[in-house]
Amino acid sequence: MLMDPTLGRVIERWRAGDREAFEEVIDRYGLQLLRTARLILRDPSLAEDAIQETFLKAWQRIGSLRDEDPGPWLTRIAMNESISLYRRRHRFQALTERFGRLGGVKHEVSSEARLDLTHALDRLTAEQRAAVALHYYQDLSVEETARVLKVPVDTTKSRLKTALRRLRELTGAEEAFA
Amino acid sequence: MSDDFEKNLREHLHSEAEETREFPRRLRGRIRDGIAPRTRARMAPQLALAGALVLVAVAVLAFRNPTMVNVVTTGIKSLLAPTPAPTPQPFTCTDQSGGSAAVSAQLTGIRSARHDGYDRIVFEFSGSAVPSYDLTRQESATFYRDASGQPVALDGNAGVKLTFRDTDVASGVPTDTKPALPSVREIAQIGNFERVLSYGVGLSSSQCMRVFSLSGPRLVVDVATTASPSTTAAPTPLPTLSPSGTDLGAFSCLDTSGGADSGLAMQLSAVRVAHQTGFDRIVFEFAPQAGGTAHIPAYTVSRQASAQFVKDPSGMPVTMRGSAGLRIVFHGASGATSYTGSRDLTPNLPVVQEVEQLGDFEAVLSWGAGMSRASCLRTLELANPTRLVIDVQTP
Repeated sequence: MLMDPTLGRVIERWRAGDREAFEEVIDRYGLQLLRTARLILRDPSLAEDAIQETFLKAWQRIGSLRDEDPGPWLTRIAMNESISLYRRRHRFQALTERFGRLGGVKHEVSSEARLDLTHALDRLTAEQRAAVALHYYQDLSVEETARVLKVPVDTTKSRLKTALRRLRELTGAEEAFA
Repeated sequence: MSDDFEKNLREHLHSEAEETREFPRRLRGRIRDGIAPRTRARMAPQLALAGALVLVAVAVLAFRNPTMVNVVTTGIKSLLAPTPAPTPQPFTCTDQSGGSAAVSAQLTGIRSARHDGYDRIVFEFSGSAVPSYDLTRQESATFYRDASGQPVALDGNAGVKLTFRDTDVASGVPTDTKPALPSVREIAQIGNFERVLSYGVGLSSSQCMRVFSLSGPRLVVDVATTASPSTTAAPTPLPTLSPSGTDLGAFSCLDTSGGADSGLAMQLSAVRVAHQTGFDRIVFEFAPQAGGTAHIPAYTVSRQASAQFVKDPSGMPVTMRGSAGLRIVFHGASGATSYTGSRDLTPNLPVVQEVEQLGDFEAVLSWGAGMSRASCLRTLELANPTRLVIDVQTP
């Protein structure tokens, strides 16, 4: 993606170690990254931790940014940080989900226990939420979402499809449209 | 059908995301701390390993030849002799934030001392790291107690407020000390409520500061005792205080606030921008609603190091002309039905390049100004008609 010349100059100053230029980058991208991380992590403090780590890594790894808009590059780092932070904090939950799947357990949702979208999103995996956040909140195409998450396009499609099906089940939207 | 669900999902995600209104200052402070050069910290693992090896060697020597121990321990003493304190940050004239939001801490001591060119205040904590903190400069030494709101006048003519989150205080830590140093005149606890601990520091005059963390954990606040701390000037130094040369009052390099949030909301009627000798002037003019009394609505004028702002309440980023900015927020004011002028002025003055409305929502009215450089300010509250005047110093 081509950069506007002003942003290009900011990135050049950042490459030269100018902290004020780096703060301009934080001003430009920080809020959207923080919001996306919060959609994935479902916890404001964890989201701040993920974005702190994102910008610290970005500061250290500016050499790996090519002559491009840093937005997708920062988003890629933020998604990696968010997903790995979620995995670290929810190891036990991940294990139980895994055993649940191996045992063929399916959590049915009765009509009395239908959830609103906020709580339904809580029930998705971090990877599913990342795909949903990038595609439906950041309005990235499936191909762009796949590139940011560094997974094949088919995997992204599958995650989105599974996530939507699960959300419909949990909110009762499936029944309403049946 | 599927489209409806996806549309709802998209709207829900946007609404959930917009609950985060702005990029938190404390997070910016943590990032800023993280990219600051820390040569001593980087050496810590190597020093720890070297120390462990020396201890093992001493133990072996003591076991084999007790007379050698004195020789070795003398060497160790010289190695461990104190070295000059690091100066990891330059002095800056801006508010600062930092610390770790994940830390719950207890303040165990406050010390202050005079050094060459600065007064040092040290806040010492128990816990794994310095807790999340905000340091806010102000133009007077009067603070307001948390949560009673009672004013507390400390010694001095300027002040700085330190707020620590998720922190309480150990018994024995003094609640009020008057060290009577060149800059630091008084340090007093002004709040300890629901694990938010705050201190006010009365200063003899407005000064730039240097804030950094040390192991312990300790937060160090160095307050300059000269107008321009010589060898450690900020990379882009902000102008120091200077008199205006007129009887309108001095320009100040601090954020400022004033007015009163009382009665019916005031209505914005005009915004004007013009250059005068030595300053660019921004004027916000207000009129009372029917039945209301004329007053300047409560306001804050905050300086920032970029011309990028966030709209209230949409959260959309706005980039104005210039490289520095001012954010002006009025509480108890609106221009929704009363202001008919432009909401994006581009006067292109020596410093003020653009003045734009950022928000007008539930009686909170905010405007931003893009500036060609960081400048000091002077605010004037005028009557007949009711106006807030912000003078931005020009070169």
